[in-house]
Amino acid sequence: MAGRVWHSVRNALRAIREGELLLRLRADKYLVHILYLFILMWVTIFLGIQVDKTLIRVKENNEELEKLRIYRTEKEAELVKLHSASAAQKRLKELGSEATLPTEPTSIIKTK
Amino acid sequence: MRKDSEIKDKIVGRDRIHVVMFFLSLAFMVLGVFILVWIVKIQTSYTVPEEVIDLFRPKTDSVIYKAVRGRILATDGRPLALSVPLYDLHMDCTVLKKKYKDENKDSLEQVWQDKARKLAVCLSEEFRDKSAEGWADIILNGRDNDKKYLLIKKNINLSVLERVKQFPLFEEGRNAGGIIIDEHPERIYPYDSLARRVIGYMKYAEDGKEDNRGIGLEYSFESDLHGTDGCEYRRVTDNGLSVRDPDLPHHDVKNGKDLRTTLNIDFQDIADKALRAQIRDHNEIRAAICIIMEVKTGAIRAMVNLSRGDTPQTTLYERENLALMQVGEPGSVMKGVTLLSLVEDGYVKNLEETIPTNNGVLSGYQQDNHILTYQSQTGKRVISVIHGFAISSNYVFASLAERYYGKKPQEFYDHIYSYRLGEAFDFDIEGLRSPVVNRPGTSGWSGTTLGSNAYGYGIGETPLHIITFYNGIANKGRLMKPYLVESIEKDGEVERKFVPKALNESICSAATADTVTRALRAVVTEGTANRLKSAKLPVAGKTGTAQVVLTPAERKGSSSNYIDAGGRHKNQGTFVGFFPVDKPKYTILVTVYSYLSKDEFAGGRYPALAVRDIVNQIYALDADWRQEIQCTGTVPEMTD
Repeated sequence: MAGRVWHSVRNALRAIREGELLLRLRADKYLVHILYLFILMWVTIFLGIQVDKTLIRVKENNEELEKLRIYRTEKEAELVKLHSASAAQKRLKELGSEATLPTEPTSIIKTK
Repeated sequence: MRKDSEIKDKIVGRDRIHVVMFFLSLAFMVLGVFILVWIVKIQTSYTVPEEVIDLFRPKTDSVIYKAVRGRILATDGRPLALSVPLYDLHMDCTVLKKKYKDENKDSLEQVWQDKARKLAVCLSEEFRDKSAEGWADIILNGRDNDKKYLLIKKNINLSVLERVKQFPLFEEGRNAGGIIIDEHPERIYPYDSLARRVIGYMKYAEDGKEDNRGIGLEYSFESDLHGTDGCEYRRVTDNGLSVRDPDLPHHDVKNGKDLRTTLNIDFQDIADKALRAQIRDHNEIRAAICIIMEVKTGAIRAMVNLSRGDTPQTTLYERENLALMQVGEPGSVMKGVTLLSLVEDGYVKNLEETIPTNNGVLSGYQQDNHILTYQSQTGKRVISVIHGFAISSNYVFASLAERYYGKKPQEFYDHIYSYRLGEAFDFDIEGLRSPVVNRPGTSGWSGTTLGSNAYGYGIGETPLHIITFYNGIANKGRLMKPYLVESIEKDGEVERKFVPKALNESICSAATADTVTRALRAVVTEGTANRLKSAKLPVAGKTGTAQVVLTPAERKGSSSNYIDAGGRHKNQGTFVGFFPVDKPKYTILVTVYSYLSKDEFAGGRYPALAVRDIVNQIYALDADWRQEIQCTGTVPEMTD
């Protein structure tokens, strides 16, 4: 019994050394399946990496968008502060302008 | 012979296989029993160590994303309130200190401190509140004293933060540079104090110890503005970056919706400024309010609530929403209510009808000094209804009310309720108070209640109720419900639209409204509001001046409810009207409230002057009054 086991192991080692293990096991019959399995594994790993890359890009883009949203909101608030009639009047005064708010309505030139 | 030995070998080989298979099966069976017993043991008595659980736990962290609160917009889309994050900047001064000390790397410690000095220079230039030496002292002292959370600056915005993150030392991040950034949301009100009571605020209770508190639109529309926080699980990628774990559930953040109000911020600005100009130098005036309402729709275009609070010297600020909450005796503006009822019921068919002056004396009522002045100026002993209205005679209106409604007062109060002056109605902001009306049969009713109510005493109304009623006259009898919110919007698209609604489709006929409008115009042209004669658009309206009932502490030592022991009183002066008279577009109300004073703060004085300023500025600003110049010439066409 032990002798047979040892014989099998020695045989297998020799086959590995001579590069014939898969041929002796008749793995060529399952080559298509092995390739298919290999491709499946490769696709799984590749997709996992791509998903990670996409998620990283999504995260970076979201952070950038959020930053832009905050910038836009800050600038909007600053501009709106300057947009009131009081702010305009105050600024004109500070600049020494004689211009004031209109006292008469706007006139529109009506074209034919 | 060879065949026999081969067969024998096969049989022997097969027997060996059977033996091997038998022992293998036996081994598997024993192993199975062992595993079964093991499982039973684990399930019943074994406690898995925490370290083992950690090994099996997925390496994920849950992250909560706070919803961005929706914006509050003016009617033209300009933001009145918006949310941005602000940042508190702290520093861990102890970073790498222990490592350098343990490894005897004094030179590296020196490099760190040199960088800290460079950082101090940058901080000094950025914030301009301390010298570079000052900042260096703070940081290096912090390092000496092992400060792990040294405050650098509070409430900086993103632009500043991005610059600060590039400073020496801070650019090395949290672990080497010690920079600590705490983000917190902040509500910004770009127009500062303008319409602050209308916009309001929201204060969230910490740790659920008490209820959330708030006022104004921020509070009333909290559910729309707040949004829903998002949550997701994150895992670390092979690159060491944290990304969303797609295998675990997540909830997307839903930012709050925007609220588009009816407020015209230019009108609000104009009204705020006009009120301040009138009352700024009069420390006896406690508060002033202004409401501008669009006649056709009831949309509130401006609502100003300036108040000094309890101390006369403090600056004017939007402290309380008096427009909704101040229930007071409105004074002579109630005469408009009485006149409309009399005309609508047919008791006064012609405004030129006269009644005897009787020296301004009506039994049970105080003598009317206006009538004495009228008699002495004209020598007449009769007065027309329209003139009595223009000079705001209490005698005339108490007499008319007593004459026509004395025996059936309920008829008069039915009118008051149909004008919605007897109850609070639904309004976009919480807090609208209910008027106080003493109807016949109630405990507050007396023999003079009817006459007093007819000229605005013994009855309590809020300014919003008063302007709503006058808007009804301007709108030819259609009483519009005042409103402040036009729509709820999401990403610029309208989700919910609020349309104008009528509180009462017809409080009077158009003819009655026209008749009362004529009387209101007389108040401006020849009566108590003659300061408005020079307004650039014709205004019709009514003044009202009332003394305010004093508190028991204020009237100590006095027998009057209205005057203290020193002869001082509190006044409430109102002007309410609409413009332009022929085709009313806006209704306006201005009321001032005084502290205890010996001065009169009549409706025809500061309120009328404020209204004049506001009308003139709206005239110059509103597109409706633009003038068209017909083009008479031609411009030659440009050619190449």
